[in-house]
Amino acid sequence: MSEHAARVVWEQVALRPGVESELIDVAALKIPVDDAGETAKDPAFAETMNRADALVIVTPEYNHGYAGLLKHVLDTNLKEYVHKAAGVVGVSAGVFGGARAIQNLIPVLRELGLVTIFWDVNFTTVRRRFDDEGTLVDDSFLAIDKFLDELLWMAETLRYGRENVTIGGSG
Amino acid sequence: MTCPKCGTPMNHQAEKLVQPIAAEELAELSSAVDGLLELVFACPGCGWIDSRREPATPPASA
Repeated sequence: MSEHAARVVWEQVALRPGVESELIDVAALKIPVDDAGETAKDPAFAETMNRADALVIVTPEYNHGYAGLLKHVLDTNLKEYVHKAAGVVGVSAGVFGGARAIQNLIPVLRELGLVTIFWDVNFTTVRRRFDDEGTLVDDSFLAIDKFLDELLWMAETLRYGRENVTIGGSG
Repeated sequence: MTCPKCGTPMNHQAEKLVQPIAAEELAELSSAVDGLLELVFACPGCGWIDSRREPATPPASA
């Protein structure tokens, strides 16, 4: 179900003029699980993160937390994330729409140097939102447009900052 | 730092505290911040990101 949610958001991103996007399934990445952190870095994924101005992270909620594989993958990079925008999409079977997973994930994203936005997308009661073919049949309360408006504003602003504002004010 | 992709001088945009993992990193530990500083740079030309660790502060001479 999270794949359906990710696709829906990705399709909305693709409609934005001037925005290039890539849909990444963390389960498909060739990242070893017998190591962790930057030593387990996947070069292709790292280059994608390097070139990205923003991340939309879609995560299911299990036992009030986000997926462990997501944390493992995120931990493989650092400099690639610093001062870049991040928005989180939560997916759950219940009425909270991944809100508790998002709240657990936000401090991790902050430590990775990402700048989180104040809009989330919550796919509540997700099994009722998609039909058998994975088509979204109920978009109530998703507000994906507002989420993307804020994310793209933050992405553009942070890109200017990364490239033109020097830390400590020198130069 | 010069961008390895396009040769443009990069902007020093962040200093990120990281904890040492490797044994050799322990020798570089900064007593000022209880960790190491990753200096992060962005290229105004192509957007590429690069970084380097801040060198250890040499011990004060007696």
